[in-house]
Amino acid sequence: MVETSLSNAPPSILAVLRTRIERLFKSYLFRSLLQALFTIWLVLSVTFVLIRLMPGSPVDILVDRLVSEQGLTREEALSQAAAMFSVNFNAPIHEQYFQYLGNLLRGDLGVSISSTNTPVIEIIARFLPWTLFSVGLGLLISFVLGLLLGMLMAYWRNSFFDIAISTVASFLSSIPNYLLPIILIYLIGVQWKLLPVARMRGTYDPKLTPSLTPEFIASVLLYAILPVLTYVLSQVGHWALSMKNSTLSVLGEEYVNAAHARGLPQRRILIAYVGRNASLPLFTQLALSVGSVVGGAIIIELFFMYQGIGIRLFEAIGARDYPLMQGIFLMITVSTVLANLLADLLYSQLDPRVRLGTNK
Amino acid sequence: MTTATPSLPQSRRLPWPRLGSLWRAFRRSPSGAIGLFGVTFFLLMALIGPLIVPVPRVNVQARSQPPSFAHILGTDNQGKDIAAQIVHGSRPVITVAVLTGLITTAIAITLGALAAFLGGLFDRLVNSAANFVLTIPYLVAMTVLASFIRLNSPITQALILSLWSWPVLMRTVRAQVLSLREREYVEAAVALNLGTPHIIFREILPNMASYIAISMILAMTSAIYAQIALITLGLVPLSDLNWGKMIFSARTTGAIYLSETVWFILSPVLAIALFQWSLVTLARSIEDIFNPRLRSGA
Amino acid sequence: MTHQPVLSIQNLSVAYMARRGMVKAVRDVSFDVFPSETVAVIGESGCGKTTLALALVRLLSRSAKITSGKVIFRGGDHSAPVDVLRLNQRQLRAFRWRNCAMVFQSALNALNPVLKISAQVQETARAHGEHDAKRVEERALWLFQQVRLDPRRVYNAYPHELSGGMRQRVLLALGLLLDPQVVILDEPTTALDVLTQRTIIEVLKRLREEMGFALIFISHDLSMAAELAHRIVTMYAGSVVEIGQVNEVFYRPKHPYTLGLMRAVPNLSGGRAELVSIPGSPPDLIDLPKGCAFAPRCSYAQAICHEQAPPLEMRAPGHASACHFWDRLPVLRELPSSQEVG
Repeated sequence: MVETSLSNAPPSILAVLRTRIERLFKSYLFRSLLQALFTIWLVLSVTFVLIRLMPGSPVDILVDRLVSEQGLTREEALSQAAAMFSVNFNAPIHEQYFQYLGNLLRGDLGVSISSTNTPVIEIIARFLPWTLFSVGLGLLISFVLGLLLGMLMAYWRNSFFDIAISTVASFLSSIPNYLLPIILIYLIGVQWKLLPVARMRGTYDPKLTPSLTPEFIASVLLYAILPVLTYVLSQVGHWALSMKNSTLSVLGEEYVNAAHARGLPQRRILIAYVGRNASLPLFTQLALSVGSVVGGAIIIELFFMYQGIGIRLFEAIGARDYPLMQGIFLMITVSTVLANLLADLLYSQLDPRVRLGTNK
Repeated sequence: MTTATPSLPQSRRLPWPRLGSLWRAFRRSPSGAIGLFGVTFFLLMALIGPLIVPVPRVNVQARSQPPSFAHILGTDNQGKDIAAQIVHGSRPVITVAVLTGLITTAIAITLGALAAFLGGLFDRLVNSAANFVLTIPYLVAMTVLASFIRLNSPITQALILSLWSWPVLMRTVRAQVLSLREREYVEAAVALNLGTPHIIFREILPNMASYIAISMILAMTSAIYAQIALITLGLVPLSDLNWGKMIFSARTTGAIYLSETVWFILSPVLAIALFQWSLVTLARSIEDIFNPRLRSGA
Repeated sequence: MTHQPVLSIQNLSVAYMARRGMVKAVRDVSFDVFPSETVAVIGESGCGKTTLALALVRLLSRSAKITSGKVIFRGGDHSAPVDVLRLNQRQLRAFRWRNCAMVFQSALNALNPVLKISAQVQETARAHGEHDAKRVEERALWLFQQVRLDPRRVYNAYPHELSGGMRQRVLLALGLLLDPQVVILDEPTTALDVLTQRTIIEVLKRLREEMGFALIFISHDLSMAAELAHRIVTMYAGSVVEIGQVNEVFYRPKHPYTLGLMRAVPNLSGGRAELVSIPGSPPDLIDLPKGCAFAPRCSYAQAICHEQAPPLEMRAPGHASACHFWDRLPVLRELPSSQEVG
């Protein structure tokens, strides 16, 4: 009844290599990575089609505008547009496509029209980090806070605490996230006058120069408070309610009871048994919520005048700056795909059943 | 009624309880009753409100007034009654939301059922499309699309909004059709050679009625979310009164930084929040009442 | 009996608070368990067996309440007897597993899916003050060997990498890790195939000899009870209806319910497999009938049974039964020993 294979012959190197490769292809990590790359490629291609091939595409509109506003000939306008998108529009369409992909790989996203010939990649490099920083911080805080609140709500279910937090959480999670700035500006800036909201524009005090001094870091955090608070408030209710449900179902699991029977300390059961198992399904949701928070960031940054990529996208749309729009759209999508991948990897690290690829 | 393993109704009868028991169920769940009341309230506001409440007019004598008996929510900086603006502004918002809910549901059911029944390449295509759509942030996609396409009619708005909200329901329908297909009574229908549409519409969809209702309500909430966002960004050309337009003008005129205009700004925000909350609460209590076995599809 | 019981259950009653009223799941149960002894608690599902087991280690759900009784544990010759029901949280935590290990019914879900077996072994030992990881590992590997598992492989595995039978044996080994005086097994072999069931029975028999723990096992599998137990406790509607030596109870049952249970299972050790199921269903535990709880289903019942509940009394040496007409029941088969004698 000893359940082991006792073959003593050493397997050949080739066979070992083959099982290794097979395992790699079946592994969760590899499949997630492949999925992410495929999605990014799909986004690039669809964007190319939208920019280039649709009737009334941005290139056509740009060319028309150059002809009517600057009195260029169609040829001149087309070559100028080509310079802005850094794609030669006279070449055959498949060549344009490969040129476009090649440029993207080299980080060449064209030139912004509205901010006089600044490369799009430069604008993105300057503003995207602020969005990633504020959104990431907001998500992190709301996730951790939500897990804690949710667990407490499950432990003290039907208590005053549970009912109060549930009510507030369900209301908070139904308000569109981009409307929270209005309420925050009113309460914090106008009613309680805690922060000079109207003067806090940008990502740090303009009098300071970026450096790693405590003063600068404090300023960065101060200017990020409102956007981060918005992301936290809009997400925390959702996480708390999900965690509560998840914890309630884990509390009914036999292994929690068995852990008590084994005389494990309460703390250990709370963290390694209830907390860890209950938070697992939430990590898959984390991936999905990245997209919704990034989307909301466009408007949220606009309300707070927080100089992130969201404001740039809005301005690019207003100025019909198509190369910039395309670049920002691509970068936001790629960031979301990568964030998804990260959440996936985190999840697979936490759940051994997924890591080994035995689950589905 | 309470069996651990849900049994299916013997015939084509809908799994909806009769109206009387539905009413009792709502009475037993107070949050469900509140949600139902809220949704009904806003739907009535959009339907008959504009017929009763007069169109708000400019009145320079009564600018930026706090709430009073004459003006329940006060007046804006042109002296227009805010409550009247909320009532008149509800109709376009709710129209687009309802349209989007219907279109999304139609797309999701069609694609999900076809993917499950046809399988093969079509199934894979639909699934990759769903993955693609789910990866790209909803609002980002909407803002970029809105810059290409003029969203001047409610139908175009609803169509564009639906483009990004079908995948979740589609996956559930697909999963359900796949699993319900296996059950005997559908096998019997297949054996009788009743045809795919018959099986989908007469056998499978009625069994998912409550889930579809929930998904449609949730599609409405995401439609409102995206629609108001686009209007707030100024990406939708608008002539008539609309909750989103109130927020847009509050933002562009800098009214959000002034305490006199608080009623004008907070009214549409609260109206949107309350309507969204009512919808979500209603959806949740429908889920509780029917306890659908179809809960997780994705 | 020359020595004292290791566990002594005295007048234990447990009730669940339900909307309709109190569900009296365990009613006035008393019996002793002696060192190295195996006691099988048998009965239909819903008779209170599992509630009783959970009450012994105080793992009842929130809605349950122990309404009366004592559970006296005598740890050894030198330690004073303690009432488990009066231990504080810290003492209770120490009592669980170190003194009394409970192996759960659904072994499939009784292990944490995200921790390796090794981690669950080590944390259990650490929780009871055993910090020498090397020694704990050696002991665990030895125990895995004893329950016929591949020690290394199992030790480094995650629960989902093991089959149901393997997990059941891991749990058993884990139960013996701290050398407890009492082991409680709740339906240890349900949901397992016959071959694995046999392995577990064999393993239990051998380990019991070697380690000398007392074993309480809850089962509705009479053939297994017959094979393993020294004494049988039959429970019906939350109370003990019969208790006695295994051969006494199985060959000369003195309660119609035990008799019914034995007729309801096919005789595994050959002979006529005449299946007679007990008619009717167990009574409502909220609103119990006035007399004997089994009377409505009993073919021996007379008028008095519906009026007056029979007390649990000694009917033969070491054999108690709660039946007015215990002496009318048939003798199923002569005991092998008495055949030899007479």
